[in-house]
Amino acid sequence: MQKYERLEKIGEGTYGTVFKAKNRESQEIVALKRVRLDDDDEGVPSSALREICLLKELKHKNIVRLYDVLHSEKKLTLVFEYCDQDLKKYFDSCNGEIDQDVVKSFLYQLLRGLEFCHSHNVLHRDLKPQNLLINKSGDLKLADFGLARAFGIPARCYSAEVVTLWYRPPDVLFGAKLYSTSIDMWSAGCIFAELANAGRPLFPGNDVDDQLKRIFKLLGTPTEETWPGMTQLPEYKPYPMYFVNTNWPQVVPQLNARGRDLLLGLLVCNPGRRISAEEAMMHSYFADLNPSVKQG
Amino acid sequence: MAGNFWQSSHYQQWLLEVHDLKRERQADMKVLTEEEYNKIMIFFTNFIQALGEQLKLRQQVIATATIYFKRFYARNSLKCIDPLLMAPTCVFLASKVEEIGVITNSRLITTCQQVVKNKFAYAFQQEFPFRVQSVLECEFYLIESMDCCLILYHPYRPLLQYAKDIDHDDSLLQMAWRIVNDSLRTDVPLLYPPYLIALASLHMACVIQQKDAKQWFAELSVDMDKILEIARYILALYEQWKTYNEKSEIVELLAKMPKPKTSPSRPPSQGPSGQEGQTEVIQGSQGQQQQQQVG
Repeated sequence: MQKYERLEKIGEGTYGTVFKAKNRESQEIVALKRVRLDDDDEGVPSSALREICLLKELKHKNIVRLYDVLHSEKKLTLVFEYCDQDLKKYFDSCNGEIDQDVVKSFLYQLLRGLEFCHSHNVLHRDLKPQNLLINKSGDLKLADFGLARAFGIPARCYSAEVVTLWYRPPDVLFGAKLYSTSIDMWSAGCIFAELANAGRPLFPGNDVDDQLKRIFKLLGTPTEETWPGMTQLPEYKPYPMYFVNTNWPQVVPQLNARGRDLLLGLLVCNPGRRISAEEAMMHSYFADLNPSVKQG
Repeated sequence: MAGNFWQSSHYQQWLLEVHDLKRERQADMKVLTEEEYNKIMIFFTNFIQALGEQLKLRQQVIATATIYFKRFYARNSLKCIDPLLMAPTCVFLASKVEEIGVITNSRLITTCQQVVKNKFAYAFQQEFPFRVQSVLECEFYLIESMDCCLILYHPYRPLLQYAKDIDHDDSLLQMAWRIVNDSLRTDVPLLYPPYLIALASLHMACVIQQKDAKQWFAELSVDMDKILEIARYILALYEQWKTYNEKSEIVELLAKMPKPKTSPSRPPSQGPSGQEGQTEVIQGSQGQQQQQQVG
């Protein structure tokens, strides 16, 4: 890897190790993702191919840039734009406090990145704080498209088990095989609440059952009336009808009324009723968004 | 990735000009005539088609594999990598990108052996000479040569829409569909956007079936010259087919085809890492059976 000087290990991605590195010519700092090629059948892993394909088509300020792909024997290295940290690490450094303007800026950028993906018929499918990168200027970028996929017509059945449990919407938890952009919108809602609470996750479930109970205790157990078709989902099972009297100002104490309204538009159990990224960006919560963020 | 062709890498990086193709093919043209070159490309397109059918792939995946193949040789000489290895590699990669589930390597190689033996024995005197490792390495070169632009657009989807709109019976669509498949045997997919190829195929189908669609085309406000250009490429192919007997000519053509040197070499589209990856010789069909593993 002559062109890049490897500096330090940053982490482990879906399919390989990530290093910080410096371009010897331009001195630019980049992130190198080494793709392991196991000696098995698959060649370049599908997850890496998916990321390469999609990032090649998705060029946007809120989506991490893929600069280059280098190959050498039995190794494939993806060269990404470098960001200083991910949102999870950012939370760790917050010590439980976060400026609500930062919350608004991050959420807006998350939605803008998602809107771009969705308008290109790409689902991320694995949104979580670890996959949102933050750089020094406060830019947020979606990363790790290893589970993302382009969706087109006809929609086929996609495999279940794709989203990290905490950010997984109830339809996927019930085994829905056909999902759409709404999958990412639920995750965005969970991340929004976590942002507002400076890193305290909203639904930290231990397993599918616990995850659904936590959701329904807060939002109310959906019924066939509020969510037609729910009982037909492959892994549907009845849950107790929780008596719901959620005091939202207590759940997200730092968030103002408009923010709570937007949050409740995202956290809708019925996927068909969840608002889209485009709609969310136009919500009045963003009326006083810093114009420099809006213009990006 | 439906509906965003104009922002795609396909549109931005992979609609080439005729003179690009001419320039990149110069080395091969010292050995082959243009007609011979085309015949070789057609032969391997047929090979990809046969492989795809044997593996029960959808036509869309076969088309993707075919265009990968064309893209590679639009940037590289035939002597960089033996097309007999590149063809299955393209099928392998396309099946992953189109997410139809990975074809296991052993199945791929077995299928290559069967297809060579059962369908192309007239062209090859010996067995399919490549192993799994060669395909995996070749995949790297292929991805690199395409600059990682793996998502493609095809004329099939626009064709379905246009055909529905023109509102004729199914036979028109079927014929246009076959013409689109035939266009894969020309340079057309490297030169024109898929929707124009769809329109040109539909136009040709209308002419052949004597259906009057002048009004419909007139209302489209597309560049009819481009549509006629595409039609000319496809008609030239049909003209060539009239007199071309692949079975009797192909052995000689393959023998004449530029081949990989025996010393280790890389395609000209080298990665920036330069020195890295002193790789094995990727070749094999004629006489070279042993794969030489370096490093």
